[in-house]
Amino acid sequence: MGVKPQVNVGGLSSRMSFSEESSSSRHVSKNDEISLVEVLSLAETSIGSLKQIIETFDSKIYSEFRAIAEQISSTKAEIAQISTQDVSKGHIPDAGQELAAVVETTEEATHKIMEAAETIMTADPSDISNYYTTVNENIMTIFEACSFQDISGQRIARVVETLDFIDKRISFFAEKIGAGSIDAPKADDENYYFDEDERQRAERKKDQMIYGPQDTQDAISQNEIDNLLNK
Amino acid sequence: MSVDLSMPVLVVDDYKTMIRIIRNLLKQLGFSDVDDAADGSEALNKMRERSYGLVISDWNMEPMTGYELLKEVRSDDNLNRTPFIMVTAESKTENVIAAKKAGVSNYIVKPFNAATLKAKIDAVFDE
Repeated sequence: MGVKPQVNVGGLSSRMSFSEESSSSRHVSKNDEISLVEVLSLAETSIGSLKQIIETFDSKIYSEFRAIAEQISSTKAEIAQISTQDVSKGHIPDAGQELAAVVETTEEATHKIMEAAETIMTADPSDISNYYTTVNENIMTIFEACSFQDISGQRIARVVETLDFIDKRISFFAEKIGAGSIDAPKADDENYYFDEDERQRAERKKDQMIYGPQDTQDAISQNEIDNLLNK
Repeated sequence: MSVDLSMPVLVVDDYKTMIRIIRNLLKQLGFSDVDDAADGSEALNKMRERSYGLVISDWNMEPMTGYELLKEVRSDDNLNRTPFIMVTAESKTENVIAAKKAGVSNYIVKPFNAATLKAKIDAVFDE
């Protein structure tokens, strides 16, 4: 069942709805989602409206509330500096486009190289003059197609820059909200996966032992594989 | 090489480029009849329609992985004697042991070269 907690602050209310498949607080419906900045604004407004009442009770309580209000205001300013709009509307789509372009360029280059190699492979060597021309032309095509490496390298460097940009800002934000002392969720935790689809895909990969290419130090060599098979 | 070069070979991979590479390598090795499939289920259907002398399969494919295809082939009385070579980027000990238990004939880790492919095919048919 969905959980729909109400946030009532200083007479103002906002609703956060959670997805059906999980009661985890990580799953906020996109339709009703409210940002942290909005929550802080509500808190700030409510504290402001309470100020006059509090002043009449106790100056110590008043000063505590004032300190809280200042802290909220300061946190808001720090969050604003993170420029989440810049990340979600600029850097991440740019990185996605760069990677898509790398895939497209490498695929195109691979096909050009393979076509040239296949042409050489099937060329008729009985006509020496034509054979020589065909081989030379196709070798030039292969050299030209290999220029993809330079362009792809530059595109990947830009993606690495984006990851660094995001990493710095997430680390900054995590530090500000004190997330450093909280243990990161593990794959076995109930709320580790964003949604059911992600959980099922991860379980399928684990079940089928799909890990993808390994780093050089983790991968076993063909010789080690041969030894394992011959045991 | 004591291999029948006219036997039909089935190459299973979800990347057309890899199929093209393996096709060309097999052609260079002298194989004349090479067919292909894009995942395990397509391969299984083809194997039930035609008798192949050798299957060369990737591991990571959907909806049916190469590992599932291997287990299906080995549990089918009509197909279980077909030589099956896994050609994959999955290079963990766990994968090799699982493939061996499931009855793989040989296992090649990507990236590989023509000499490795030839040696592993030879080894399968020399046994």
